[in-house]
Formats: sequence, C-alpha cells, structure tokens
Amino acid sequence: MRKGLLVLAVLAIIATACAPKTSTSTSAAAGDCTPDTMNLHTPGQLTIATGNPAYKPWYGGTSESGSDWKSGKYTGDPHSGEGYESAFAYSLAEQLGFTKDQVTWLGIPFGKSFAPGPKDFDFAMQQISMTPQRAKAVDFSDGYFDVNQALIADNGSPAIGVTTLAGLKDLKLGAPVGTTSLQVIQELVQPNVEPGVYPDLDTALKDLHNGQLDGVVVDFPDAFYGYADQIVGQFPQLSGGQEQFGLAFEKGNSLTSCVNQAIATLKSNGTLKQLEDQWLQTDASVPVFS
Amino acid sequence: MAQSGPSPNVYVPPGGESDPRMPPGSGDRWPKILGGGDTSARNVWIGVGSTLIFFGLLAIIVVRSPGWPEIKDQFFNAAEFKSSFPVILRKFVRNIFIFCAAEVLVLIFAMVIAVLRSLPGPVFTPLRILAAAYTDLFRGVPTILVIFLLGYGMPALELQGVPDSDYLWGIVALTLVYSAYVAEVYRAGIQSVHPSQVAAARSLGLSRWQSMRHVVLPQAVRRVIPPLLNDFIGLQKDSALVFVLGVVDALGQAQIIQQGDFNFTPFVALSVIFIAITIPQARFVDWLIARDQRKRQSSAAV
Repeated sequence: MRKGLLVLAVLAIIATACAPKTSTSTSAAAGDCTPDTMNLHTPGQLTIATGNPAYKPWYGGTSESGSDWKSGKYTGDPHSGEGYESAFAYSLAEQLGFTKDQVTWLGIPFGKSFAPGPKDFDFAMQQISMTPQRAKAVDFSDGYFDVNQALIADNGSPAIGVTTLAGLKDLKLGAPVGTTSLQVIQELVQPNVEPGVYPDLDTALKDLHNGQLDGVVVDFPDAFYGYADQIVGQFPQLSGGQEQFGLAFEKGNSLTSCVNQAIATLKSNGTLKQLEDQWLQTDASVPVFS
Repeated sequence: MAQSGPSPNVYVPPGGESDPRMPPGSGDRWPKILGGGDTSARNVWIGVGSTLIFFGLLAIIVVRSPGWPEIKDQFFNAAEFKSSFPVILRKFVRNIFIFCAAEVLVLIFAMVIAVLRSLPGPVFTPLRILAAAYTDLFRGVPTILVIFLLGYGMPALELQGVPDSDYLWGIVALTLVYSAYVAEVYRAGIQSVHPSQVAAARSLGLSRWQSMRHVVLPQAVRRVIPPLLNDFIGLQKDSALVFVLGVVDALGQAQIIQQGDFNFTPFVALSVIFIAITIPQARFVDWLIARDQRKRQSSAAV
C-alpha cells in the first residue's frame, strides 16, 4: 500500500517533469529575411516537406543513389531541380538567400503537412490546394500556381467523348483522397454512382487500368503525363473561385512573410511563368465540361 | 454496495465471488479492478481515491500543456465531430458488412484448416504440410500487404470469371489472414481434448471422423470461444484496412473529411465508433471466461 502510493507518486512526478515543453522559437521581425535571421527548423537549412513518391510533372529528374526518392516513369526526385515544384523550390530558396546545398527535402505523408504541433520542416510543398477551412489548421503562403481539374480515361471507357457534366453522372469516377479532384466530382458532377476514393493517385490509376473506374480526376497538368490514354475534358471552377496551390506553414510561423516576399518577386520578374512554361504542359484545346 | 463484501445473510452460490475455493477477486471483474483483489469497502475507496488523483493529475498535465489548445481544436473539435460523426457512422455499415461476411467465412475455413492439420496418420502428411504452410504464410504476411496483393493483383489478371469487386477481395484477404489465426485457436482447442476420449470413442466403434465430429470438436469449440472472439475483435478493427483498395468505408470517409478540412477530429469520431462496438464484446468475453471458470470450479467440486 505505502509502496504503491510511492510508485504512483513517482509516476506522477515523472509525468509532470517531462510534460510541459516551453516553446523556444524566436520570431524574426518582419522584413528581416536572411538565412541567418529567419525562423528555420534547422539553422542555416531550408527544410521542405513533400510526398514520397513525388509525382511528375511536379517532381522530375533522376534520383541519385542515397536519395529517399525513387524516380521512375511517373515519379521524380525533389533534389533534381527538375519538375515544376522542385524547380520552384530551388528558385524560392535562391531568392531567400540559400544555396542549393542548403535545401533539405523531407518525405512526409500528406497528413503531416497539417498535423498540429511543431513541424519537422519549414513548409510543405505538395500541390496543396488552399481553402478557408484548411487555413484554420495551417498558415498558407500566397498562391504559387493556379490549377484546374481534368478528367482522364482509358480508351474504351464510356467517359470518352463526353462533353457535359450531366454526361458524367452515371460513370464510376475516382480521385485520390484529400484532393480537390474529389470535391470536383461531388460538387460539379454530383454523380449517381458513388465515386471511388483512393489513398493516393497510384492506387486510383491501378483501378482505372483494371477497368474498375471509368475515369480519374486529376490536376490538369497531371493529365499530360500518360497516366491514362486520353484527356476527356477540363472541369469549370468550383464555387470558391480560382483554385490555387499554396505552401503550408505551421500556424504563426514568421517565415511565411519572408516566403511571400520571395514568391511576389518570382511572380513579378516572370520566373514563375517561365517555370510553368518549362515544366507544365497545357493545352487550351482541351474542352471544358459544360 | 453489493460488491463491498459478502454478508452472512446473503446466499452466495457455489463458485461465486466469495467461494473459498477460488483465488481472491477472480469472480467479478470490477471489484478486482477497484480494490486490487480484496474487496472490502476500505480498499474500494482507496482504489477510487488513488484513481481519481492519478487520472486527475494526468488530465491537468495534458490540459495545461502548451499544445493543448491546438490539439483540442484539431482532434476534439466539437463542431467537426458533430458534422463528421453521422457521415462516418453511415459508412460504418460497410465495415459491419465486411467483417460479418469475413467472420462467417473464417469460422468455416479455419475449421477446415485446423481439422486438416489435426488429421492423424502418415497418409495425411501432405494435407498437414499444406495446412501448416498456409498458417505460416498468412500469419507471417502483414494483413495490409495481403489486401494490397489480392485487391490489386486479382482484378489485374483480367481473367474470365475472376470478379473485380474491391469489397470481395478485401473480404477474401481478411478471411485468409484471420483464418490462419483462428485455425491455430481451433487447433489448440482440438489438442486440449484428452487423447483418451478419442480412444474411448474409437473403442465404442466410432470412426476416426465420427469421433472427431461428435467427441472432439464440440468440446474443442466450446473451449476456444473466448480467444475466438478476441480474434474477431481484431478482425473488426482490421476491416478498416480495406480502404486501401478504394472502398470508401468508415476510415475512408474519415480520411476524406480529415484531408479536406485539415482536421483530425474525424479519426477521433471513428475511434469512438470502434470502441463502442468492441467494448461490449470484450466484456462479453470476460463474462464467458468467468462463467466457464465458475462452471469448472463447481464441477470439480462435485
């Protein structure tokens, strides 16, 4: 009994001693944007998180040995500087005053980009569409890419040749979880058949090629990467206005304003536009579903 | 309090909690948890007191932690819970369908495996090897891998007559994995029946199969019901893994909301649902074990 109380007391003391962790992060004053003064996860390093595998056309190139990423037909390596987001990341880092070697990549599952608490990275760059609801959990940078959604399908699918949203209603469509692609299906198509939702793009495409899906909704630039035989069409915008990708930061991170300054510079000096032209295909002739 | 101790005026059935033949506290579960064995009023109150202090301290530590406001908003968000719970619950019907179907199949299939593995005689060596290889294989491969391999592999064969339903392959995968576990549980039950019973049955003129069917199996199955239910609780939880095939079950729905809203409360909501169905089963298993123990104690006394 005495012994038991003692054990409980010791346990409680241990718990009390290790629980409260005081936050030690110092916030840099606005405008104070050099690698030495910025609020960074690892001093002197810009740590960027993205998914692994990292998909083309956002991440391209060939992975070197020792890299956590494995480049392939559909995937690339963030370290390569090739692909839109990889190239954008290195332009951004340069603008902020980092050398190429000072950029560290961290592979994370999508949920980690918005999990509460201190993050293992400075920001997540993972084709994250910004919505007001999501902005409650993270701070977003200014948008760095305007994105539309498109439907891809294999030859022989009943989706081929469809030009209207109404024509898609009875098709079995699919999308990866957590994307606005799913939202597009639910809000714009309002299908009679329940859409398939997949843990990632890869698994959705497998069901497409197995014939279990009639079509998969993807970000428009993805549609050109041979994931399926044909691009059926583009979707009009959702009610929230032009969909944009943003970088996700821990709430209250002072780094956000520095990154926003850099994004503004890359926009005004034409770098972003040039990266888009270089890495992302587009085709104005792809019809928009009416 | 009825549990505060046996009163001399109250009739206590043999095998009840105050039965001197039983180890202290092995009868009912709650007094054991609260009083730590001796169920006198004083001990129960000490148990309640130290519990309150201990968990109270823990709660204070958690709530006062610097990250708590964020955690509260992201994991225990009332508005998010309210809006997501009914949607997830509706999709939970699919999990129920998946695990019910798998449980029925497991009961049958695992029995076949267990019987094959328990067949005596040298002629049946290949069948015993087959059954042993099966249990080794499917207990060794992680459940999620079996689901991946079957769910994406089988439809890709594009064979005539091979169905491409994600549900079906999810159920098949769960059945294969859990049959391996349950077959071992059955086998333990079969082996727990004393060989002299088979000898007796055989001497009465029953065939090998008849003695298995009428003497061994009925006793074996009755003995393994508690561990069997434990495996089923595991199976019910693993029904959520079928989401990796694109079946929008309760986990799929929770993740859709989680990633759409950047909020983890849907996961908490789903956990509540799983707890609500598994706890009654766990208590039922406890009750079965206690009843079984009482029965055995009283029959031993006869």
